[in-house]
Amino acid sequence: MTIDSELLRLLLYVVGFIAFIATNAAYLVWLERKEAGHIQCRIGPKEVGPFGLLQPVADGLKLMTKQLIIPKGADSFLFRLGPVLVMTPAVMCFVTIPYSDTIVARNLDVGLLAIFAFASVNVLGLLLGAWGSRNKYAVISAARVVSQNVAYEIPMLIVIVTMVMVTGTMNLHEVVTSQNGGFWHWNIFRFSASPLMPVAFLIYFVCMLAETNRAPFDMAEAESELVAGAFTEYPGMGFGVFFMGEYANIVVGTSMATILFLGGWNCPFGLWPGLHWFLIKMYALIFTVIWIRWTFPRTTFYSLLNLSWKVLIPVAFANLILTSALLKVL
Amino acid sequence: MNENATLDLLYVFAFFLGGLSFALGPFVIVYLLSPRSTRSTRGQTRQFIECGVPPIGDAWIKFGVVYYLYALMFVAFAVDILFLFPVALVYNRPGPAGDLRAFVEILIFVAILSLVILYAWKKGVFRWQRKTFSNR
Repeated sequence: MTIDSELLRLLLYVVGFIAFIATNAAYLVWLERKEAGHIQCRIGPKEVGPFGLLQPVADGLKLMTKQLIIPKGADSFLFRLGPVLVMTPAVMCFVTIPYSDTIVARNLDVGLLAIFAFASVNVLGLLLGAWGSRNKYAVISAARVVSQNVAYEIPMLIVIVTMVMVTGTMNLHEVVTSQNGGFWHWNIFRFSASPLMPVAFLIYFVCMLAETNRAPFDMAEAESELVAGAFTEYPGMGFGVFFMGEYANIVVGTSMATILFLGGWNCPFGLWPGLHWFLIKMYALIFTVIWIRWTFPRTTFYSLLNLSWKVLIPVAFANLILTSALLKVL
Repeated sequence: MNENATLDLLYVFAFFLGGLSFALGPFVIVYLLSPRSTRSTRGQTRQFIECGVPPIGDAWIKFGVVYYLYALMFVAFAVDILFLFPVALVYNRPGPAGDLRAFVEILIFVAILSLVILYAWKKGVFRWQRKTFSNR
């Protein structure tokens, strides 16, 4: 392959994935509002375009024409750095996510580690943005976000370590190809490695909700207690970039769940594997994430932290030990 | 450094630049499109948004020590889990049959790690109360 064609490929992948993220961010907001509407016996957006499908465009235009304001006394550099630090790592995660056998920007050997390394920067953006806005609600939210994210990163990483142990690789392409075949080959049903695999999936899913600050763990933006939490002082596009970053992180999280547990682009019955299966699984998980947000109330803060330290981490550790025992002993 | 590793880094860097432009691009568009100042915001843009009234006291204050204890526990765990990654990567490679050394080592490692939680549990870190320290 010549240098020119490689550079062209690189450019196409960067632009393509950014377009994918932007479209997702725009239409997941629409999906979220529609779904919330139907769950609460409303209709949701319907005025702009058919089924309200042009609503995201209208929202985008509105955000673009709002004034950029930095509040008095705020640390203007940190205030501007916050949204950037949430968005940039989320985009970087896509460098190694394989969406099908051929659609992957770069098949890194340390893909799994790289993605979780990038994804952990997200909390830094929220912390700096909230602290920089010099608002009491935002600062309370910053403290909560950090302790929540560090608490839920641990069970998530223990589950990831378990999965690395089972598959023996951190290359995401190899992780998926090791689950080739029907759904009984998928890691979520790999009972020979550990009978607790569905529990591991559940732990991963709960931690993903907490890491992306989704309800019932949305301590970053607890509307009823903290106005808008970390985003209180962000007008217009600052808020918009935070939001796009949040949805990009949800896409990354559900993609990783699909790859690690649900067999990536494999068909449940071993037929016609491909991109469509990946997208079906991913959007089903995203639908569930939104569904959970609008049906469960927010937890209290201490029970949220205690759930992680007292339940999830011990169970994740037990799963790790059980898996390593079954792999070596049997 | 071989060609593949260079390309890996190039891709990561390109996605970093892409992410940066996707994060900063909207602000540039807003800067070009939005009004610099409107009648309703003139002279008021430097105010806090917080409920419309001036807040009492500064927001940059000291925190409850409870957060700090959670953070300390996290540091212990995060470093140790980083050590577990290379072990997990080579764990499932075929070795001599009945070789339990790797398993026993992981067991000991995790057992020592679990003491952190047990210690914190016993010390009452997980009880969410106001912790007061007097200088008696």
